[in-house]
Amino acid sequence: MNDPLFTALFEILRFENLLASFAGVTFGLFIGMMPGLTVSLGMVLLLPLTYKISAITSVCLLLGLYASGMTGGSFSAVLINIPGTPSASATALDGHAMAQQGRAGEALGIAVIASFFGGVFGLICLWVASPIIARVALNFGAPELFAIVLLGLTLICSFGQESNIKGLLSGIVGLIIMTVGLDPMMGTPRFTFDTVELQAGISFLPAMIGLFAIPQIIRGLSGKSSVIPQYDEKVTGVLPRLRNLVKLVKSMFIGSAIGTGVGAIPGTGGPIGVFLAYDYARKASKSGNRFGKGEPEGVAAPEAANNAVAGGALIPMLTLGIPGDPITAILLGALLIHGLIPGPLLFSQNAHFVYAVFWAYLVANIMNITVSLSTIKLWVRVLKVPERILIPIIVVVCIVGTYGLRNTFFDTAIMLAFGILAYFMNKYGFPIVPMLLAIVLGPSLESHLRMSLILADGDWTVFFRQPISLAFILLAVVTFFGPLILPAIRSRFKKPC
Amino acid sequence: MKRVNILIAFVLLVFAGYYAWLTAALPDRNLPNTMGIDFFPWVLCAALTGLSLLLLIKSLFFKTSETCMYRVEWIEIKEMLIFLVLTVAYLQALDYLGFIILTPVYIATLMIGSGSRRWKEIALISLLTTVGIYFFFDKVFQVILPGGKLL
Repeated sequence: MNDPLFTALFEILRFENLLASFAGVTFGLFIGMMPGLTVSLGMVLLLPLTYKISAITSVCLLLGLYASGMTGGSFSAVLINIPGTPSASATALDGHAMAQQGRAGEALGIAVIASFFGGVFGLICLWVASPIIARVALNFGAPELFAIVLLGLTLICSFGQESNIKGLLSGIVGLIIMTVGLDPMMGTPRFTFDTVELQAGISFLPAMIGLFAIPQIIRGLSGKSSVIPQYDEKVTGVLPRLRNLVKLVKSMFIGSAIGTGVGAIPGTGGPIGVFLAYDYARKASKSGNRFGKGEPEGVAAPEAANNAVAGGALIPMLTLGIPGDPITAILLGALLIHGLIPGPLLFSQNAHFVYAVFWAYLVANIMNITVSLSTIKLWVRVLKVPERILIPIIVVVCIVGTYGLRNTFFDTAIMLAFGILAYFMNKYGFPIVPMLLAIVLGPSLESHLRMSLILADGDWTVFFRQPISLAFILLAVVTFFGPLILPAIRSRFKKPC
Repeated sequence: MKRVNILIAFVLLVFAGYYAWLTAALPDRNLPNTMGIDFFPWVLCAALTGLSLLLLIKSLFFKTSETCMYRVEWIEIKEMLIFLVLTVAYLQALDYLGFIILTPVYIATLMIGSGSRRWKEIALISLLTTVGIYFFFDKVFQVILPGGKLL
């Protein structure tokens, strides 16, 4: 019974951890279903609390939110045709059509069950794949680790951005910000301007809160997103019949497989996964022509996908320390707060914690399906809470959360500064996620780079001599230059019409 | 968008220059055979300069691939300025008046600012939120919130 697998399970089943999971799930459903409030925002709002609780309880809280936030997003998508999260966009296509036909309860029930299916599928993949990847990654030295972090950053800077130059600029500015404070290897102050508070560097918690919360607060205060349509019909028949559910297994399987695969690629994220899943499920379905007109399979596939993305995104985060999306980046931040550094060493040195993460995610999914199905009618009413009430509460939670970090308003000022920066970045097409990733990964990128060069006596070819680091660096180069060069090549060889 | 990108590229180039100047002023404290504390900042400085130049060249000589029309809305700027002034004033006054007294006023002001005119709702939400947050952070999580000098 001293096996870490079982000790972790008993730890997760302790009252405070189950309570944290329940709180996370409830808060996640609320945040996920409120249009304008994102799962990332929910995570950063809870992050200050994780300072005061154990690492495992923090994981229960945050994974509960992660699992249920995706499900919550589908509630508003189905009921009012406004996806609570970007990952619920595809669910709105058939889910809202079903609601218009008076089948809102059925659509919500399918969404919740498919979310559970996707979540558990993603977890199984995580459980099977991550120890294998971690074992391989255990042989990596500093050059390989530098190359992996570089590739992760480049992928996130380039994928899905309007301009990958702007994505990379956002990442570079984030890395520059992280050079403030004591140098990680020599302990000499850098760019601190003789300010004591800056010697500890820019803490990523106020930075994250500022980047995610302040632009939403400003939008909310200016009344940009406060007009939310209401759903006044009665919601009935939430539990679908077993016979109908069996018909959806194929779509849920397609959604889960695509979601997990897409989630495991850093930088791709939920929205890509759900639309791919929707499209494949439509092509594979006998009733593909009914997609978009209220077809249950059109709800099941994307809902399974958006919860499976979470399991997929946890694979590179736990095994290589590379977050797959902004939510796992925040989760990575929460682990770093507790001195836990995700990566291959975590599996060999802290297997108990790794298993606790797996169990916590399973409990979060069970809690999610239980809470969601039993309280759907209540959540329909919660959707009526106006933003004019929510925004001031969020503001005060953000201020108190950053203040509580070191009992100083310096961190609150940092949060405001990052908030203003994020607002203008949003306005001028600079993505925020690369900056967030750079803030989280910056210190390890610098450490691995300098360590590699020290070990090689300053010889830069060290990165090209090892096949793995060479492959990752080449992939990073292709990721960055590919989108710039490919259109030019295509237009050169395009035949005139 | 093209003009904005050119302007942003210039701003980033100026920032890269400033960062280079700060990096050059860093103390020269190294162990033998190690990269100095200025090594990584120089790498970032070069990357920032290169990418800013790339953005400038792309904006000057090539058609933009960006489809979104980015623009700043003045109502949001106004709201942001009001929010910042209010928040800075709130943070400054917290040490004197304390969290319990000042927070309901701050929340009520934000609610009125965002268009709410239901006075009962404003009073109820601002009081309940303050008490809830105070209890949650101060009593449950032991984050000592400013008590104020008046009390």
